[in-house]
Amino acid sequence: MQPQHRNHLSFLDRALLNLLEERARLAREAGGPGPANLEDLCARATGDFPAHALREVMAAVEQGCAAAVARQGGQS
Amino acid sequence: MILRLRPGTPEARVTALVEHLEAAGVRTSRSPERGRPIVATVDKVPSELRASVVAWPEVEAVVDPVGEWRRVDRGFFDGPTVVDVGGVPVGGGSICVVAGPCSVENPDQVQEAAAIARRSGAQLLRGGAYKPRTSPYAFQGLGREGLHLLREAGDAHGMPIVSEIMDAAQLPAFLDHGVDCLQVGARNMQNFTLLKSIAGARRPVLLKRGLSATIKEWLQSAEYLAAHGCDEVILCERGIRTFEPATRNTLDLTVLPLLQQWSHLPIVVDPSHAAGIPGLIPPLARAAVAAGADGLAVEVHPRPEEAKSDGGQALLAGELAGLVADARVMAAVTGRHLASQLPLPSAG
Repeated sequence: MQPQHRNHLSFLDRALLNLLEERARLAREAGGPGPANLEDLCARATGDFPAHALREVMAAVEQGCAAAVARQGGQS
Repeated sequence: MILRLRPGTPEARVTALVEHLEAAGVRTSRSPERGRPIVATVDKVPSELRASVVAWPEVEAVVDPVGEWRRVDRGFFDGPTVVDVGGVPVGGGSICVVAGPCSVENPDQVQEAAAIARRSGAQLLRGGAYKPRTSPYAFQGLGREGLHLLREAGDAHGMPIVSEIMDAAQLPAFLDHGVDCLQVGARNMQNFTLLKSIAGARRPVLLKRGLSATIKEWLQSAEYLAAHGCDEVILCERGIRTFEPATRNTLDLTVLPLLQQWSHLPIVVDPSHAAGIPGLIPPLARAAVAAGADGLAVEVHPRPEEAKSDGGQALLAGELAGLVADARVMAAVTGRHLASQLPLPSAG
């Protein structure tokens, strides 16, 4: 892999992490993991990223956000 | 010259340094920075004195500001300044949205605008009670009554309030109504009498950039506030006058990376006044957050066509919600986040 590709992918990974952090923070603030709108999201997944993989990702996202909410509940 | 001393330098040595400089006729200014002592010289320092002071073992670094300011210089504070506006942090990775009508017009209008701003995700409520209008025949604002209505709307929706002050004589009204942040408009950016008068009020100040002000002139005005007791300054870029007539002003996003090098103060961007066209505001807002803005100031009105001032650039409810959602994503991508809204007041 060329260095610039590696850099671009690293940048996108960091951006994804930042967005996930923000989603978890917002879920914590809202007190619930929030609507996944899974079917709507999958319908939009018409690009390179396959819908079945998106389903797995979103399941993990929901799990992570629920854990963030539960952690807050334990602290309060 | 800004002298950055080593963290943990004993207070007695800091005092000795200050006395050494002042005995030579050089006035000094101390940073509020807690992590390390920082001392700025106000007056020009003769080269011999400079050489002797720089040689002190406690002096870790010497910074020479690029302009005639001291307290607002990047070197005068270790981190970015985070200004607390009624409990909402502005700066330091926390992005705020200041939204509301250009002018407070009547109780229903400001309450509706506040409800829209709150529902859309804005943290701070803005609204003009004293209006600097180009035409003397245009609506000049409700004055004290406008501040009262804005305060009521802010309290009802859990939003600290921001409003423009035009004259030092208005300050008691602003303090009486607990205005959380005093806005100094573009036309008053270099009204040094006003800046000095409000600096001691112990309220954060949102300092808009003058219509044709250079960045250095803008920071000089911020220094006026800081030198007279107000370190809680938020800079606001609202577009500058250029040869381009297609937009109301030209939004100068260059200030964001540049001011982050020159100053520790947070910077808010006002795309409403810059563009003057609602359709241009969301993309400019996204660009501003991407370029490092610490906040956005936008105008929203429940019925822009009925607005008594600047209705043509006011966003509608759905447009503001979209703008805030976009700002949240842009903030996250750049490793920051939107500030939390204050809790709503309890119904009881």
